[in-house]
Amino acid sequence: MNLNFPYNVELRFPGDLEYIPAIRKFVSELLQVSGFSQKFAYRSEIIVDEICNNAVSYGCTGENPEIELICSLFSDRIEFTIKDQGGDKINVEKLHAALKTADLNKVEEINRGLGLEIVRMLSESLDVAIDKNNLTSVHVVRKREDI
Amino acid sequence: MMNVEIKEVPATQNAVILRFSGELNSESIGEICSSFEKLESEEKKFAIADMTGVSLISSAALGEFMGARKRFVEKGGDLVFAKMKMDIRTKLNLMGATKIFRVFSDIRSALNAYKWQVERNPEVLHLKFPSYLEVVPPLRQLISRIAKLKGYSNKDSFRIETIVDEVCNNAVEHGKQGVDQKIDLKMSIDPQKIELDVVNMSDPEKMDSLKALLKPRNGAQGETSDSKRGRGLALIKMLTDELTVDCSEKGTSVHIKKVREE
Repeated sequence: MNLNFPYNVELRFPGDLEYIPAIRKFVSELLQVSGFSQKFAYRSEIIVDEICNNAVSYGCTGENPEIELICSLFSDRIEFTIKDQGGDKINVEKLHAALKTADLNKVEEINRGLGLEIVRMLSESLDVAIDKNNLTSVHVVRKREDI
Repeated sequence: MMNVEIKEVPATQNAVILRFSGELNSESIGEICSSFEKLESEEKKFAIADMTGVSLISSAALGEFMGARKRFVEKGGDLVFAKMKMDIRTKLNLMGATKIFRVFSDIRSALNAYKWQVERNPEVLHLKFPSYLEVVPPLRQLISRIAKLKGYSNKDSFRIETIVDEVCNNAVEHGKQGVDQKIDLKMSIDPQKIELDVVNMSDPEKMDSLKALLKPRNGAQGETSDSKRGRGLALIKMLTDELTVDCSEKGTSVHIKKVREE
């Protein structure tokens, strides 16, 4: 293996749900060729699936929306940054609501934001920034378990 | 009782959304029929049936949808479903209707399908990656999967994968090395063709060998170890419809066009 950490791979793809399976498979394969375990790669795939689904579902308005995903690979972790072009007011409010830690005993909270709960369970940190134009950036850090 | 609301889609001429609600049964066939007739008289090609509010669909009503879809398809368009409840979708599955109709989870995906199929809008993917050979296999698989997703055949998708593999391997092998050296790949795909643009910084020490690769191969020459090195580019030329390489000390830019074969 000749690659050196850290390194970044940046993707920009259409804001359409149909692209997500191919994108998450790519991230999983990238991790495996970089020496991460299959288990790590699969759990990271789950994270990518959730954050991409949110970005497309809540953050894509306008004619030809795009999603930007940056994968930063370090020797001991992977960091994902996903940026969308901003959703409408209702969807941004839904995202804010989903960001609050859900009480899994309350059905309405489960229905609201389970995707991000899964991301929180599988990662070390999850940060979301929404600017005044509703441009949303989600940053997730997942540490390697086998070292 | 059924209700249907027809909604124009801004910035499209040929697409329309029909928002159905209630029970689609034999009593509602007349209204379903006249809704589709109205669209056909307005020469709409692509109808998205928003099924959010639908609680039941009978086989008779589904038959009307099938007839309408046939007429849309004959005009180069389609009739698709969107936002269908799980129990309705299960019923359509059991009836075999999901083999005929495409069902989208949201309106945006259905509109993207319209833009792809009727307006033939290209979709664009951008990648920026470091100059490491290890990254090339996942990358070519990604491109191949997207081609298949957009309806390209296994054969076409594999050929595209081969092209991406060769072009990216060349970019890594003949380009500048280092973690800060990035290779840019842009893929534009539409129903008729795929275009790829790969740009990277050239390694000044490898410029001569790269330019040698780009010279036309003379079939009369016997194979030497140097001529063997040009096979990748020869393969790309065989598989593509257009290949342009612009090589200078500043950088190398490869443009490829591959027309869909099947």
